Amino acid sequence: MLKMKNISKVFRTEVVETHALREFNLHVQEGDFVSVTGPSGSGKTTFLNIAGLLETYSSGRYLLDGKDVSNLNDTARSKLRNEKIGFIFQSFNLIPDLNLFDNVDVPLRYRGFNKTERKERIEHSLALVGLSNRMKHLPAQLSGGQQQRVAIARALAGEPRFLLADEPTGNLDSKMAFSVMELLQEINSKGTTIVMVTHDPELAQQAKRNIYVRDGKVSELTDNSGSSEYQEVVNG
Amino acid sequence: MLGTLEMGPIIRSLTRNKTGAVLIALQIAVTMAIVLNAVFIIGERNDLIARVSGVDEANSFQISSTGFASDFNHMQTLEQDLLDIRAIPGVVAVTTINAIPTSGSGWSMSLQTESGENKTDVGTAVYMVDQNGIEALSVELIAGSNFSENEIRYRDGNQEGWPQNIIITKALANDMFPELDYAEVVGKTVYINYTEPMQIIGIIDQLQAPWIGWNKLENAMLSPEHIASGDFSRYFVRTEPGMRDDIMLQVEELLAKRANERLVEGLRSFEEVRERSYSRHEAMIQILFVVMITLVSITGKGIVGLASFNVNRRRKQIGTRRALGASKAQIIRYFMVENFLITTFGIVLGMAMTMGLNMTLVSVFELGRMNLMYLPLGAICFWLLGQLAVFGPAIKAASTPPALATRTV
Amino acid sequence: MFSYYIKLAMLSIKRNPVLSALMVFAIALGIGACMTTITVNYLMSNNPIKSKSDVLFHVQLDNWSPFNAARDPDQPPLQLTWVDANNLQKAGKAFRQAAMARSGGVIQPENPDVKPFQDSFRLTYTDFFTMFNVPFIYGSGWDKQADENAEFVTVLSRRINDEVFGGENSVGKTITIVGQTFRVVGVIDEWHPVPKFFDLNNDDFGEPSALFMPLSLKLPLELPSWGNTNCWKSPEGEGFVAFMNSECVHLQYWVELKDASERDSYLDFVNSYVNEQKELGRFPRPLNNKMSNVQEWLEYNEVVADDAKMMMWLSLMFLLVCLLNTIGLMLSKFMGKSSEIGLRRAVGATKRDLFYQHLVETACIGLAGGLLGLVMSYFGLQGIRLLYGEFADRLTSLDGNMVLLAITISVFATVIAGVYPTWRASSIAPAGQLKSQ
Repeated sequence: MLKMKNISKVFRTEVVETHALREFNLHVQEGDFVSVTGPSGSGKTTFLNIAGLLETYSSGRYLLDGKDVSNLNDTARSKLRNEKIGFIFQSFNLIPDLNLFDNVDVPLRYRGFNKTERKERIEHSLALVGLSNRMKHLPAQLSGGQQQRVAIARALAGEPRFLLADEPTGNLDSKMAFSVMELLQEINSKGTTIVMVTHDPELAQQAKRNIYVRDGKVSELTDNSGSSEYQEVVNG
Repeated sequence: MLGTLEMGPIIRSLTRNKTGAVLIALQIAVTMAIVLNAVFIIGERNDLIARVSGVDEANSFQISSTGFASDFNHMQTLEQDLLDIRAIPGVVAVTTINAIPTSGSGWSMSLQTESGENKTDVGTAVYMVDQNGIEALSVELIAGSNFSENEIRYRDGNQEGWPQNIIITKALANDMFPELDYAEVVGKTVYINYTEPMQIIGIIDQLQAPWIGWNKLENAMLSPEHIASGDFSRYFVRTEPGMRDDIMLQVEELLAKRANERLVEGLRSFEEVRERSYSRHEAMIQILFVVMITLVSITGKGIVGLASFNVNRRRKQIGTRRALGASKAQIIRYFMVENFLITTFGIVLGMAMTMGLNMTLVSVFELGRMNLMYLPLGAICFWLLGQLAVFGPAIKAASTPPALATRTV
Repeated sequence: MFSYYIKLAMLSIKRNPVLSALMVFAIALGIGACMTTITVNYLMSNNPIKSKSDVLFHVQLDNWSPFNAARDPDQPPLQLTWVDANNLQKAGKAFRQAAMARSGGVIQPENPDVKPFQDSFRLTYTDFFTMFNVPFIYGSGWDKQADENAEFVTVLSRRINDEVFGGENSVGKTITIVGQTFRVVGVIDEWHPVPKFFDLNNDDFGEPSALFMPLSLKLPLELPSWGNTNCWKSPEGEGFVAFMNSECVHLQYWVELKDASERDSYLDFVNSYVNEQKELGRFPRPLNNKMSNVQEWLEYNEVVADDAKMMMWLSLMFLLVCLLNTIGLMLSKFMGKSSEIGLRRAVGATKRDLFYQHLVETACIGLAGGLLGLVMSYFGLQGIRLLYGEFADRLTSLDGNMVLLAITISVFATVIAGVYPTWRASSIAPAGQLKSQ
């Protein structure tokens, strides 16, 4: 599903060169649920941005769903994000002026679905997160956990093969965090590949596999499910 | 394809953040009302200015002489002046004249087709000229004949009544005898001062009265006379093309030879005379132009300012949209569509205000009624203005990095 | 606290220099446009002799044709005939009275270095000077005998005295006017009533006249009319005397009464005069005489040009656009500061504190806009002067009143414009903004 080989990302200013990622290698299989942990500044977010095609990388190869994305232009990358990737953000990133229906609608508009299809998908995915009866509400009228559920509904509405979550429970209390995690596991169980960045080791435990990032490199892989492919990945 | 225009969500989003949009729409509406009315007024003034006087505007000038010496012989001076001026090479014709077309001051009389008091009359400007008047004014005699040299009289205040023969403009002929062809008017008798008969001996194509604001501007008559009171005479000179300025100086020099007996004044080209009369209209046009340009740029700046502010405020949102798969073009389109909707609202309001303002101007200042075609044309211009103004901020919005979505700020 | 707010305002303005400049500029443009047109309108509609406005009256007699009125609807002509003006003058029924007319001719200075020139005269009676509070530098008006005996005396304007006599006291000296030797009896100081209320027949805002002389000289010297002449029937007979005795109107007639309450009795006198004339076969129309005080006369003549009024309306709308613009920008600016406002609220600032803080900032911008607007209206007026030439010379000066008005309008307008954004800013919730959005 996702294959990164020797990915490096260098931020340059006039005075310093920062290596956010160096020789980063990772292989995520279809249907996998990988958590990414590591200390602040380790390169977690850079990894997430590159994986989600939000940022470009300096060198290396990145295959998403078997397709090399290195030389794609901005529009093609946008299209790929729209069709293949679903995003869940730490601060939910709902659009405050739009009600839940319109929020979930946002990526579907860019997809170019017709009105009926959009409506079906929005209603379906809001039902999935248990918020069907709140469609006309504004984000501000919901609790944090509910807002994150809306964000998940938005991520799922386009039926992406690959879900990227950035500290999905970071702004939530433990009870709400638990329910969001349950939802993610349920989604994963239906076949959607999930990569989740978190700094919470307890949360990371709930993924199938966990990678630990330090100094822009994958330094450790743990398998929570008993699969045995990881070693291979590390060695490239 | 309409789905990606996002009309519905944009409208719903706008209704939750009305203030900015309403302010822009109001600005557009008021600006539109002012600009369209200004354009309309400019058009009307331009039409006024574009009217032709009938004389050879580029090659004519006037000059006047006032004798003050106690032994000043006016008639002799006048005759000698006419001979001398005519002798200057490049002078086509010269006449004495009491007033200059479009100059602002002159003499008007009423003519009637029947003798007696309380009969319908028609106002006309009176130009007292000699037999060279037609040539000097560069008007065309389209029917009848010119004055003969020996019928030109001196008006020194001691003559009885008016000359026997007059020449009138086609417009005046039509005004007095609407049922006749202008050529048939030649030979008709009209009455001045209720009962004094005068015969129309000729018709000229066109000559404007001195008062540019008069509604009978095209009514003029030529009377075969030299003004001879007050030792004052005014000459109207027509020159060969391109020689006017030289000849103006020569004539001034010629008349000033007797500066100890008379004042030589009022040397002015016809163009200058005309410009002076129309200068208020010209000034109004220029002021309105400045007003329009400033107003449009203020409104444009207002749109840019508010759009930039909105872009900054929504940076996170834009980043999220980009992360969710919006292309740069789609982000640009979002802001363009949003602006289009706001502008449309402003334009609809603006159309009503434009008509309202026009109606007020019509009733208070006797302005003409605006052609309705101004509205759609104005609408197109303001749509363009809006799109142009929002384009910069929209480009800026599109350059928001999608990675902003994952930043927790 | 106030100085703290001023300091905060300055900081805030410095932090958004472009936005602040844009706001100040928008207000300045609006104020500049308004002040320019308001000044022109203010000067056009000025009453130049307020102190006597109620006791000075212009008189109109309806001597017009039996078939149609001189002016619609059924109004008497604006001017009087030579005969009537002189008859009313000679009756002397008012406290002061002056018939007058505009004329002109050649002036030949004694000094051979100054060339002869042509200029305009005002022919009038000596009451003119006292009636209209005309200021003198040298001498005074002529005496009543000069009026009666048509003496060759003249009062010069300051301009002519400067040109002909180099500005020195010329009283007692002589000057040749229309070929006659005149004795100078007085020189008036700069005197430019705007509008030139006593003769609104031409050049409403122009110079009063180059010099003054007794009206009784008009007949013997056959002085021409340089104003408007209107006739409803031609003179009976030919020549100057016939013209002077005709029904043609070309004179103005003003009276000063001791008290505004004498108005009716003077009008009674005028009416009884007209009735006498009717018996002589004149005045074929029904009695329709009119007296107007200065203010009424200015309004009756619609001195304010339509274009000037129209421009004022448009400029007020222009200011409206500028204010809408400012509200928008101000709102943007204050909303952009919402986290700072939230913080201030969180540390204990009340709504009222924040309202004042932002109002001070708004007023600062308004004041700056007003001052810049004044500068702009100065240039606007220079522009008007450039475009309209001489006509606008006396209509384009900013006086203290206008400066005060400009600043008042701008601060007032900006505060009005700023109230909504300020209110919005001060009602930002303390907590909401601290959380990341």
